[in-house]
Amino acid sequence: MIITLWHFLAVAAAIFGIGLVGFLTRRNLITMFLCAEMMLQAVGINFVAFARYHGNLQGQVFVLFIIAVAACEACIALALFMSLYRRRRSLDSSDWQDLRELGVPAAVDVEPLDTPVVEPEPTLTPAGARPLPQPTAEEAARV
Amino acid sequence: MNLFALSQMQQAGGQIALAALLGITGFFLLLPNPRGRFVPGGIAALIASATVLVSWLMSTFGKPMPDIIGTALFAFFSAGALIFGTVLVVQRNPARGAIAFAFVVLSTCGLFLLLAAPFLMAATIIIYAGAIIVTFLFVLMLSHAEGPSDENDRSREPLYGSFAGFAFVGLVLFTLHQTSLGAKSTDPDVAAPPPRLLLPVITAEERKALANVLAKLDEFDKRLDGDLGTATDRIKWIDDFETIKNDLAVVVGVSAQDQFAIVRKDGDSMRARLEKQPGKPGAGGSLYREDEQARNALRRAETVRDTNYTSLHLVERELLKPDPDRDAAHAAVRKLRDEVVLLRGASDLPASNVRSLGFVLYSEHLLAIELAGTLLLVALIGAVAVTHQKGVAK
Repeated sequence: MIITLWHFLAVAAAIFGIGLVGFLTRRNLITMFLCAEMMLQAVGINFVAFARYHGNLQGQVFVLFIIAVAACEACIALALFMSLYRRRRSLDSSDWQDLRELGVPAAVDVEPLDTPVVEPEPTLTPAGARPLPQPTAEEAARV
Repeated sequence: MNLFALSQMQQAGGQIALAALLGITGFFLLLPNPRGRFVPGGIAALIASATVLVSWLMSTFGKPMPDIIGTALFAFFSAGALIFGTVLVVQRNPARGAIAFAFVVLSTCGLFLLLAAPFLMAATIIIYAGAIIVTFLFVLMLSHAEGPSDENDRSREPLYGSFAGFAFVGLVLFTLHQTSLGAKSTDPDVAAPPPRLLLPVITAEERKALANVLAKLDEFDKRLDGDLGTATDRIKWIDDFETIKNDLAVVVGVSAQDQFAIVRKDGDSMRARLEKQPGKPGAGGSLYREDEQARNALRRAETVRDTNYTSLHLVERELLKPDPDRDAAHAAVRKLRDEVVLLRGASDLPASNVRSLGFVLYSEHLLAIELAGTLLLVALIGAVAVTHQKGVAK
């Protein structure tokens, strides 16, 4: 028995699912974009596996067009990120939740982020007193 | 080892559901959360999920052990894709996520190579290398490294999100299982072979014979350009063309109308082959296989068979005229040549299929290529239009 079509389909489905989880849960626009690209890769594996199975090249041709469309998507998506970043100074997709449907309550972040304890910069304690301009009589005698 | 006397379907469904639940748990524990993450537990749950999934895959679709190298490579690349995909999803730092995505792309390229798509592998690496570098630039430009931030350290509904994703995967895998059962049970008498990936449909000798025919066709095509000579010369040319036709017919068989036309040296062997498959007129030739995966190549061979017959007649008619029409003869010869090139490329899936891919792209999908180019141009203009706004930046 050899590696069959099913093995490739199962692996592609798992990769697609991981990408889907990432796209649904992450809030960084760039990570969401990478997850969408990963889903496209999984679909590409499916296409190439079917092309191999049927013994023709149509599936591979389709993957070439998927790559072209992915390039267009990357181009537009990154341009949108630039323009969104200019307005809100953040890559958080939840900053744009006022575009949501009517009647849906806004998602509010209740848990505070644990800001790391910033250690204060070290300050040197003043050491000693400023030397007097004139040597005392005792010092002068010693010298 | 069937503890609860479950049916095969229930067992598979249970395994898939267990894998999905473990996966949901793992992702829920690993996704960024302001309350902190439980990394060892999440990793353990994901490993358990992967183990259940692999055991399901093995028990359903067979242990692919005999082909050790192929199996090892497949396991390596698919494990790499899954592991680095998980890292991309649960990683807080988007720059590290981009590196993980690079490894996902590399693993996918390995799977492409296992599926005999070397051109796609190269194209994917080249294009995604650029894409990942650009993503890196964006991460450097736009993200603030200092301190935790909303976008990197919070997840949007981690439980529901991973439930949605893994429910999807579980349903797809269960459908795969059902489909494979259906594919097995259509013909209960014959133990149906698993849908293995393609074996070479056209043997090396057949491919060599096709290459030979191609060379001869090119030569004949060139000869049509030169001096056409007298009518008797041209009758000799027709004989030459018929030799080429018979060479081709040894591989693809003869068309139904043509069966009596063979008087040449290969005729006997071809008739013998034809008699081996009675009841299938026109299915002679060594390309005939009892392999359903060869259907595509067979269909193409049928086209070549018919073109082979008609082109001989076209060439003959043109050359027998007192004033032959070169263009028509050229067209006939070139049509046959193109068909032979496509046949030689059909199922030519070991590493040399780049040429066939190019041929298919530029013969059958020319309009789609133009549209893809236009789409790229429009996307470029759109990106410039979206980014270029005056007076917004503060």
